[in-house]
Amino acid sequence: MRNSFIRPRTKSLISPEFKLLFFFFSITFAMLVSSYGFLKIKAVMYETTRAELINKSEILKTDIINMNQEIAFIKIEKQHAEGVYTGNTVLKESIHNLFDLVPQKITLSKADLKEDELILYGITPNKEVYEFLLLAPLRSIFHRSYTSYYAMENGWYSFVSKNYLDRELAVVE
Amino acid sequence: MKFHISRQMIYILSLSIVFLITVFVFAFAVLIPMGKEYRVARMDTKKISYQVDMIQGEYDKVYKNLKTLKADNRHVIGAYTTIFNSERFSKIHAQHFESFSLSQLSSPTQEDDFAVYEVNTSTLINSPQGFYDFLDAVNKSDNIVSVNFPIHFERDANLIKSSFTMHVYAANKQEKKSDKEL
Repeated sequence: MRNSFIRPRTKSLISPEFKLLFFFFSITFAMLVSSYGFLKIKAVMYETTRAELINKSEILKTDIINMNQEIAFIKIEKQHAEGVYTGNTVLKESIHNLFDLVPQKITLSKADLKEDELILYGITPNKEVYEFLLLAPLRSIFHRSYTSYYAMENGWYSFVSKNYLDRELAVVE
Repeated sequence: MKFHISRQMIYILSLSIVFLITVFVFAFAVLIPMGKEYRVARMDTKKISYQVDMIQGEYDKVYKNLKTLKADNRHVIGAYTTIFNSERFSKIHAQHFESFSLSQLSSPTQEDDFAVYEVNTSTLINSPQGFYDFLDAVNKSDNIVSVNFPIHFERDANLIKSSFTMHVYAANKQEKKSDKEL
């Protein structure tokens, strides 16, 4: 038997107003959470990038130090090599000058060249030729020169000429 | 006038307040600190990125400098690392002499950053020019070689006997990491 003229309304557990409220706050909360997620991911990405950059900068700094050391060593090598090459060239010039110094009339039999010392052995037709043509230029180069003569059977003289450079005097000059 | 608020309305208002409080708490307690953290991380990264760019610039400059220096001094660098080969040395330089002989290399001594090997040399030349040519050629050899005092010259019939000491220099360099990169 029906007691009403209208059909009963179906009653739902959640009313449309509640649904609207839930929907609105769900959207709001979802936006907040997604913003949080976005920021979190970006922050982690920046942290990772930062760690990578710090690592890269450390490697670069170490490489720069190593390369600077290598540059310094190459410069030392270059300087040392130039010193050696110059030394060889100076030695060549010194020997060249020494042999040019000896006049035609004097014949050398032996020569000992040391850092600060030159010993010449040879023969000369007479003492004057030796003194004017060889001893005089030797005296202008060396600080001390000592000569010993030995008379030979043919009237010539064999001589030993010892010439020294005094390092202290050379520095002062 | 009586203001009537239904029970349903009270539920909705209560729930709205709870939701609002939740949103505010979340925003202030979680979202804003995270925003700050993000901003700090971004600024730090930018700062470090700038510093790395500066370091990279310096690295490029030093690398270029090293590369140029290596290219310009290829012969010298190679000469310090080449092992002295007395046979090869004799073969190359014997042309300046009538006779040319080298002694065994001595054990190395240390001179600053270099190991120094000593080698005694005896030669026969028919004119000093051979010796001068040798001194010119030794500066272009595969090794860094210096001719040292004492030098002894002695007449031997029409030839000149000479003996002298040579120093051969070798680098005592440790392997550098950047070597591998170049």
